[in-house]
Amino acid sequence: MMAALDGFLASYGNLVNLCLLNTLLAYGVWLALAANMFTLGTGGFMAVGAYCSVYFTMQLGAPFAVAVVAGGLLAAAVALVIGAPVLRLRGDYFMLATFAFTEVVRVIALNWDAVTGGAIGIYGIPRYTETWQLVLLVLIALYFVFALRRSYFGRSIAAIRQDDVMSEAMGVNVFGQRLSLFVASGFVSGGVGGLAAHLNFFVGPSDFGLLRSVDALAYPILGGVNALLGPMVGAIFTTLLPELLRFSSQWREILMGLLILAVVLFLPGGAMSLLRWRPRKAAARRPSTQGAE
Amino acid sequence: MTTFLQQVVNGLSLGSIYAVFAIGCTLIFGVLNIVNLAQGAFFMVGAYLGLEIALLGLPLPLALLVALVGGGVLGMASELLVFRVLRLRGGHKWMGLVASLALARLLVGVAQEVFGTAVHGYPPNPFTAIVWEIGGVRVQLLQVIVVITAVILMGILGFTLQKTSVGRAIRTVAFSEDVARIVGVEVGRTILITFFIAGALAGAAGVLLGLLFNVVSPFMGEHMLVKGLTVMILGGLGNIPGAVAGGFLLGLVEVFSVAYVSSAFRDAIGFGLIFLILLVKPTGLFSGFEERRA
Repeated sequence: MMAALDGFLASYGNLVNLCLLNTLLAYGVWLALAANMFTLGTGGFMAVGAYCSVYFTMQLGAPFAVAVVAGGLLAAAVALVIGAPVLRLRGDYFMLATFAFTEVVRVIALNWDAVTGGAIGIYGIPRYTETWQLVLLVLIALYFVFALRRSYFGRSIAAIRQDDVMSEAMGVNVFGQRLSLFVASGFVSGGVGGLAAHLNFFVGPSDFGLLRSVDALAYPILGGVNALLGPMVGAIFTTLLPELLRFSSQWREILMGLLILAVVLFLPGGAMSLLRWRPRKAAARRPSTQGAE
Repeated sequence: MTTFLQQVVNGLSLGSIYAVFAIGCTLIFGVLNIVNLAQGAFFMVGAYLGLEIALLGLPLPLALLVALVGGGVLGMASELLVFRVLRLRGGHKWMGLVASLALARLLVGVAQEVFGTAVHGYPPNPFTAIVWEIGGVRVQLLQVIVVITAVILMGILGFTLQKTSVGRAIRTVAFSEDVARIVGVEVGRTILITFFIAGALAGAAGVLLGLLFNVVSPFMGEHMLVKGLTVMILGGLGNIPGAVAGGFLLGLVEVFSVAYVSSAFRDAIGFGLIFLILLVKPTGLFSGFEERRA
């Protein structure tokens, strides 16, 4: 059994790690989406976390765990500074402000040679990230999201997602809840950035642009924002798909585009809406929380 | 002083293209409150269509026309195949963003398959050769033509929106879909026309940029999309005069930061500007004197 597992990991280890990493990222983005925050800042937070943790391990010689947490904390601090003014803006402006943030981070990464290695990036990063660590972190994230959804805080978030004006009137501190979720999302994204950097031997400014942010958003949206396992399903689906479609890189892009379009058009509630095992009555009592804006 | 004037010339010609592209993005936002992330891909397809026509030895105005129509048809296709379906199915606004990006990806993949990943250039034309020197400032005939074409396109759009029944319908839908239905506007058709106009502007911008820098590649759309979003924020979401002013402003800011600060920080200054505007005046730089949308 163990031998079979080892053999599997030897040939598909990279893919497994990538799936786990993207699952973590998907839950990080889910934290923001849960309160209707369409964030394009994920790429920026990942970059902050990645460069910070690489600086810690390679320049300061800090232990790996400390470096990843430091990357996450720095990204969280950035999220706090960005979020405090930006979350007062309306939804679309929030999206564009986070987009601008990601691009600013990318340009800084491109030019701050001393820390980021400029356009060339940083090569030869020691590989510290292990599969078991990622599995553990995914399990922790799953438990955290599971507990969050059942808590009082989780209910108030669901209320914000349905109608933020109404929940404000009902006494929910919409701004405070959103800010804390945004900071948490920044922390997770930053941590994932650090883990990714110590998995791929390399970080460069082109890893963290607009496309990275949108890909990260696509995971929970394709999987389904309302289901506990939705972000995970979306992340694994989107990560495995390109590997299954190994014809040529052009055809892969074309088929990826077509498949994502098909999911979006035919399952607008995400892939997890396929599995509606909840009895009808219960479903009627707790209507789908996917409200309009 | 010569450097300054030279940068003004360069900035205006670049900015006019940004303006044409961004007007399309902001028009869709003004009417439907959504961002169509596939606009960048339409821009890229427009550049290739124009290139193919130019390689056949046909005149450049025809290339521009083909790119206009091609971009417009793609815009209509994106509405019919993606956005309309999503609206009918009650999909969330987010789905539109993900879907339009998937569409962009699809088009980039097709462009790579058809035209290859290499960078192409337009065949030599007489316009690049003609250069005037006015007081030490070099002005290419091509730059003048690009700016004039952009201004003509904007003029046609402005006339259409302000003076024609189609334009009135678009503005009514932008104001409120329900009101538009009550007064008898065919909302579905009007939205389709809006997507056509936006796609056509993106396609035309592709030809103009391809001509000005002589660079056409499958990945040029993504870069332009980022510029278009920047201009949208500068001018205020859905604000067309704002997008025009914002396009020229961004062109000038970029060119000046290359000339006077450093080429490395060209983009940083643009995005820093966005951030500042979003914090200080989130409705855009020009919302003070132009409140109307679309």
